[in-house]
Amino acid sequence: MRNLFCSLILTLIFSGALFGQMPEIEFEEYNLDNGLHVILHEDHSTPIVAVSVMYHVGSKNEDSNRTGFAHFFEHLMFEGSKNIPRGEYFKIVQGNGGTLNANTSFDRTYYYEVLPSNQLELGLWLESERMLHLKIDSVGVETQRSVIKEEKKQRLDNQPYGSLLEETFSHAYDKHPYRWTPIGSEQYIDQAKLEEFIEFYNTYYVPQNATLSIAGDINVEETKKLVDKYFSGIPRGEKEIDRVDVVEPPQKEEVRDTVYDNIQLPLVLHAYHIPAQGTEDYYALNMLTNLLSRGQSSRMYKELVDNKQIAVSTGTIPLSLEDPGLFLAYGIVNQGVKADSLEKAMQKELNEVKNNLLSEREFKKIRNQIESRFVSRNSSVAGIAESLANYHVYFGDANLINTEIERYMDVTREDIKEVANKYLQKDNRVVLYYLPKSQKENKS
Amino acid sequence: MRNKILVIILTLLFAIPLFGQVDRSKRPEPGPAPEIQLSDYESFELENGLKVFVVENHKLPRVTYRLIIDRDPILEGDSAGYVSIAGSLLRTGTESKTKAEIDEAIDFIGASLSTSSSSIYASSLKQHNEKLLSIMSDIVLNSKFRKEQFDKLIKQNKSGLAAQKENPNAIASNVRRALTYGKDHPYGEVMTEETLKNVTLDKCEDYYDTYFRPNIAYLAIVGDITKDEAEPLIKKYFGEWKSKEVPSHNYDDPEPPLINKVALVDREASVQSIVNLAYPIDLQLGDEDVIPSKVLNTILGGYFSSRFNMNLREDKGFTYGARSTIATDELVGRFGANCETRNSATDSAITEFINEMESVRKEKVSEEELNSAKKYLIGSFARSLESPQTIAQFALNIERFNLPKDYYKDYLKKVNDVTLEDIQNTAKKYIKPENTHIIVVSNADDVADDLKKFSLSGKINYYDRYGNKYDPSMKEIPEGMTAQKVIDNYVEAIGGLKAVKNINDKTMTLQGSVQGNQLSLTVKQKAPNLYYQNLDAGMFKQTAVFDGEQGYRSTNGQKQMIEGEELETFKFQADMYPFLNYDKYGIEAELTGMEEVDGEEAYKVKLSLPNGDQPVRYYSKESGLLLKQVIPITTPQGTSKQVTKFSNYKEVGGVKFAHTVTQQMGPQGITMEVTELKVNTGLKDSFFEVEENK
Repeated sequence: MRNLFCSLILTLIFSGALFGQMPEIEFEEYNLDNGLHVILHEDHSTPIVAVSVMYHVGSKNEDSNRTGFAHFFEHLMFEGSKNIPRGEYFKIVQGNGGTLNANTSFDRTYYYEVLPSNQLELGLWLESERMLHLKIDSVGVETQRSVIKEEKKQRLDNQPYGSLLEETFSHAYDKHPYRWTPIGSEQYIDQAKLEEFIEFYNTYYVPQNATLSIAGDINVEETKKLVDKYFSGIPRGEKEIDRVDVVEPPQKEEVRDTVYDNIQLPLVLHAYHIPAQGTEDYYALNMLTNLLSRGQSSRMYKELVDNKQIAVSTGTIPLSLEDPGLFLAYGIVNQGVKADSLEKAMQKELNEVKNNLLSEREFKKIRNQIESRFVSRNSSVAGIAESLANYHVYFGDANLINTEIERYMDVTREDIKEVANKYLQKDNRVVLYYLPKSQKENKS
Repeated sequence: MRNKILVIILTLLFAIPLFGQVDRSKRPEPGPAPEIQLSDYESFELENGLKVFVVENHKLPRVTYRLIIDRDPILEGDSAGYVSIAGSLLRTGTESKTKAEIDEAIDFIGASLSTSSSSIYASSLKQHNEKLLSIMSDIVLNSKFRKEQFDKLIKQNKSGLAAQKENPNAIASNVRRALTYGKDHPYGEVMTEETLKNVTLDKCEDYYDTYFRPNIAYLAIVGDITKDEAEPLIKKYFGEWKSKEVPSHNYDDPEPPLINKVALVDREASVQSIVNLAYPIDLQLGDEDVIPSKVLNTILGGYFSSRFNMNLREDKGFTYGARSTIATDELVGRFGANCETRNSATDSAITEFINEMESVRKEKVSEEELNSAKKYLIGSFARSLESPQTIAQFALNIERFNLPKDYYKDYLKKVNDVTLEDIQNTAKKYIKPENTHIIVVSNADDVADDLKKFSLSGKINYYDRYGNKYDPSMKEIPEGMTAQKVIDNYVEAIGGLKAVKNINDKTMTLQGSVQGNQLSLTVKQKAPNLYYQNLDAGMFKQTAVFDGEQGYRSTNGQKQMIEGEELETFKFQADMYPFLNYDKYGIEAELTGMEEVDGEEAYKVKLSLPNGDQPVRYYSKESGLLLKQVIPITTPQGTSKQVTKFSNYKEVGGVKFAHTVTQQMGPQGITMEVTELKVNTGLKDSFFEVEENK
């Protein structure tokens, strides 16, 4: 008995030491008087620096008759400013050895440059220029209107299963603005006007709604001075920022629909309503995802793809969203298999986690997977800058970059079973079948 | 409307900055350029020939392994796909472990491990390093391919091919490779349903046995590990790997087309065209042109600020992005330009691509463009060093392609040394706006006509999704359709079996003119197969009669009995409804394809008569009606075709008959209209008597 007790303690100490091994990301953060939040992380491994700005505005802040607007605006942020002529923004960054991009999600819009570290000041000037006095003209608006429509075609309309996310969210949400996706609809992209963009800019693109996150080969004290030089003079926004407070009413009964698409292999998707990211249940659901579909030994892969061979691919994803989001479980059938037999097999795996506690070994496995992923992800300064900004914007705690793993490690086997039962309920879900268009023609 | 004409410029922030000490109108000057340092790597070699590189990087407690099998590309021929399936099989079983056991072992330590036909990648936290090595070594040394895993992969690959059918990017890639390299080149061949049938477990096993040998392998180790730590481990886990001589392969170099060639893949569902300009180039890593070509490509289409993108996206709004590639390769490199654009802008996009390609050859680029591209490349190089994998890649390249040891250390200097003249010379050598394949995946109805202008001959070549050329008038036969069903549909379309059989006799007169001469044809028919035909072309009169057993032909009064094979054919032609009696006459009907007849999609039914004749009949997919008949005719001058078209169907006595018949034979054409058509008038058998002259 003594021995056993001893080894248990050893295990605990050992695993404690393990987390201790994880390199800690050190950073400094502070607010300017105008409300801009600044996060700085110093790392001299490579002579580069990531300069990023996260604006806390996404597609959920749009009017329902202007979907796609936040993303449209993102494109316009590259148009120019008082001191940057139209079309020069990209050239300045790339012509000075940098790379840049931006993206828009449901909840935020993110801009970044990665530059040689001697160009830090250039990056700050560029981001402050478009935060202070963006300049857009009708030529730019019209060009980007065309470009965005091509983007939508390329990413969605011309791709098999391309409408999946759009269909999922429009079926799952009735009231909440998650019922449309960031790309929006072509009709509203056509209608968006210059004046509306100005209004949007003045409301959301203001320092108190932005986080400036910088990581890389910098000197923190000098960087602070430069940040002050370029950003402290930007006036605080005067408009009230409307935070979305729509609460999606609980779904009462299963929603089931079929989409006919240009595909050959049917796809089955379940989307269950789940709580927002950062909640305890969210972490348990995230662990559940690992159990079901991470790696080829995961339950769904092993059973549906390897053993029964009824799916060519399968997966589960807990979407990380600021407001209550969705847990997706999907499969694409193997040739000659009916969609409903895949759904039955998926359901069987979901029932299994609801009915039985996972084994200790499986539990250890998914903890190892989480740990490995957590340790590996801070491998680039661009990634670190974004993570820091994310943790600050969503949770008000940038240090979660170091500590969030504890929230995962707090999840117990019982928690996983419990959230499976709580959320993976029939009444709480949307079921979508993607079927080949030819099957629709046969039907009629 | 004014908005579109006038350029309205709106400044979005009116506040004049109060902080006057910052002069925002001036772009900040950069600080002194940081030194870009390449970290070192170490190497050693096992006795069996395995070459190992170690790149230390202790930032994260992780180690990754990349094993490369450096073999010549393999031409798989009619069993294309077996090499990649062998690569997938590598992870599915060893002498001592099942797939499930391997999967569990990898996942349990939170590792990842993937295999391909010429590489294995494995990665885990440092604490699981040795466990990971033991799994990897077991796979490399002791793989055992099992039948059930093979069968599963075949099934998955079939599904994969089905899924690809609808993926425009996969289609574009297949066709691009087939055209750039040719189907008889390892880079040009593609796996299809057909080649998949020829893939066997034996072939896969043979591949593994032949090529997975340490004497042609490199292992790159990157991460939280030193050479001293790694060397004994690698000896332990890979020292027993047996070397064996590996065959080498040579191929002819593919050539760019002599003139521009337009290739179109018709994907009806496309709302956007995928546009590719592509051709092979001769450029190997280490050639002195490589670095100038990188700078050139950057300027032309290698980054956002490139000419292609600035023109097609930022100026014209044709696309979300236009890019180019100049790729080096040990066998054959390639040039590629690509974008995705709305169907209606497809030809304009291609025109702009070609314009830019011409212009970069004709005129020197500007100093500013050159400097911008250089800085971008230098910056990219520096950024790439953030990943320790880059150093491993450099080490591999130096070794595999016999580059000078300092190739990458001198890289930045060489980029800086590129001149405006170098760019133009490189463009003249590698940019070929007149020798390119122009490949488009789109809805042919929307784009085909506009693409003709890019081909000297005005001709567009159609390709299927695997890069096989085909005749676009041939479409695929709908699943489940047969010749019998086509004929049944036809009977239904003209009035149904009952109505057809209800017709006992028929009298029909057709009139037309050929080269100014009036022509009149009268046909009388009675069930089951009594037949009379009189053709009056003024100077030329001919009558043919069949009484069910015998027949004669009378030309301008000269009577001649019809005999032998011709009589057999007449029996069938005289039948009131031959299409109901194919069996009786020994005629085989086969549905051979789909074709368009005057814009109408039609089933193509080939009849094989006992005498060897093979008339082909075309039935409308939509209406079911007979549209066309083609009879091949052999004459002393060669073969030709008699083409008869049927249209203007009108109902008489409950059955629809074509009232316009057009016949074409060689250059001669005649259109005949039915002027009289009566049924069930009570024709007497005696009318068809053969013995007496009428």
